[in-house]
Amino acid sequence: MAKYLYNQEAIENLKLNDTSVLDRLVDFESAREAHLKKERAKKDKRMTIAEAVATFVQDGDVMTDGGFSYVRTAHQAFHEIIRQGKKNLQMIGAPNTNQSFFITYGLVKYSHSSYTGAEMRGIDKVYDRALKAGKIQILSEWSHGGVAQGLKAAQLGLAGVFSKQMLGSDLIRYNPYLRIVQHPLKKDKDSCVFVPALYPDVAIIHCHAADKYGNAYIYGPAVNDLATAAAARKLIITAEEIVPENDIRYNKQGQIIPFFYVDAVVEMPFGAVPGSMPGCYYWPRQWWEKCMRFGGSSEENNKAFCDEWIMGVKNQYEFIEKLGGARWIAEARRQTRAAEGDNEDIDFSYEEYTLKHDSGIYY
Amino acid sequence: MQDLNAPANPLENLAYIIAQQIEDHSIVYIGTGIPMVAGILAKKTHAPNITLVYESGGQDPIEGDMPWSVGCPFTWRKSPTIMEMSYSFAQCYNGYVDIGFLGFAQVDMYGNVNTHMIGSDYHQPKVRMTGSGGNNDLSSLTEKMVLVGLQTPDKFPEKVDFITSVGYLSGGDSRKEAGLIGNGPAAVISPWGVYDFHPASKRMRIKSLTPGVTFDLVQQLTGFELLKPEGDIPETKLITPEALEVVRTQVDPRGVFTSMPPA
Repeated sequence: MAKYLYNQEAIENLKLNDTSVLDRLVDFESAREAHLKKERAKKDKRMTIAEAVATFVQDGDVMTDGGFSYVRTAHQAFHEIIRQGKKNLQMIGAPNTNQSFFITYGLVKYSHSSYTGAEMRGIDKVYDRALKAGKIQILSEWSHGGVAQGLKAAQLGLAGVFSKQMLGSDLIRYNPYLRIVQHPLKKDKDSCVFVPALYPDVAIIHCHAADKYGNAYIYGPAVNDLATAAAARKLIITAEEIVPENDIRYNKQGQIIPFFYVDAVVEMPFGAVPGSMPGCYYWPRQWWEKCMRFGGSSEENNKAFCDEWIMGVKNQYEFIEKLGGARWIAEARRQTRAAEGDNEDIDFSYEEYTLKHDSGIYY
Repeated sequence: MQDLNAPANPLENLAYIIAQQIEDHSIVYIGTGIPMVAGILAKKTHAPNITLVYESGGQDPIEGDMPWSVGCPFTWRKSPTIMEMSYSFAQCYNGYVDIGFLGFAQVDMYGNVNTHMIGSDYHQPKVRMTGSGGNNDLSSLTEKMVLVGLQTPDKFPEKVDFITSVGYLSGGDSRKEAGLIGNGPAAVISPWGVYDFHPASKRMRIKSLTPGVTFDLVQQLTGFELLKPEGDIPETKLITPEALEVVRTQVDPRGVFTSMPPA
């Protein structure tokens, strides 16, 4: 039996039989309980990604993407989760391109969806096929802004927010968490959407630097991650580098996740590969084109692509070797520095991957 | 580098027509694809003082190359500030954004947009598409929306298969009654025509047609009855040679978004 009064129309439209799977995402009491039990001492939380995933990612967890689709997202940690194998995960895809890697290997059973795809590279045909084959079930449809508000509400310490987004749309008819309510102070009819605060079980956030206690620094778009970090029951930080605590205190201004939110700290250079990492490396654009176009073209091709790039490598270093090794590192760093205006402008042209043309070059 | 002497293709014309919707000194929220080209084209031609805002949080970047994604560093290149996502959309609600541009897979006679799924059965769609992303948020909140996409009877149906984003809902005052902010869609732009909405009924109406395109042709390409403007239907102004050169040399020199897609 579910603990909450979900939007019944959405339950019916989504054909959800067991609504108890919905509870954890909005279960404030258990999230607060988890936060109260977190380590208070400044303890060295460093471990390997294999240990962090084995300890903190459990079957059935509600997990989030971090970063923005394929910018500063913890891809290499995701690959480790896939290699370890987990079951019945719920994935919040906002903003997202990454559910399909899990779906391919049967890790994700339930999907909270606000976006799948890779912009102009096309729709996510793997997600499309999985949905029709019943390999995954959508539990809720969202806009990016709706998820962002739910996570922000958690960070702000609110039960939820009164939103003006999603009103009148079919998102509400396919989202059990959303209720339309009247603005309580308005005399005239004024509809709002109550978006409840959202509490993922586990989040993995890739950062630029972290100290061994978990204070972590983000450069560039934080997107939802400061809110997600505050909300999640369990939080793994992967970081490009581990720095002394004083470096965070004196030199890293701006977007900081405090140490007491954090359960595990993993030193993971190139942890966002094949995504881009602000200040550090640009996308291997051809990789994403191949992923969407070749992987999208059939289930066999998708499996072959994922087998090659996820199961076929042990860690990010082997992944980078396949991208071109030191040459890829140098070019990707040059590209991102130039894109940010920190290097002389360079020529951004490249040989696009198409089904008819695969240069095999990723920079 | 592109061939500067080739005639303009439909995507380049589309970018120009979208850019004409942008007034100087406005704040413009930009979605991925052709709207990015249009925003940068406007900035480099008739509207040099606009401020561009992107959904990943970047805003007011200094000029650079064409962004590969809305999360690309070119969308936040030396930005004075980068917004968290919830704050970025909130700027539309709070009245800081004048106009937004979005794509669609389907748009109906009341300007409602679908980017979710094609088909009549949600559980067995013909095709599942991207979902909302920020599409719904901008449509719900932004003062003035411009919708951009291709036009066939399937893409311009009487009712969309899934309302991802509300335009004028069921016409009349229904958008306002649903509680939404902003004025709703001001224009729909396809390669064949520019459309607006009747002020009272909120039904889609022809504003101008691409030179060579007749009313009968666009009506055949539309799944509902199009309203006509008073008098003769004006021709849409196509890209000028000067603007075409700016697109090909400065805005999208490698044709990331303005070359016709590969097979």
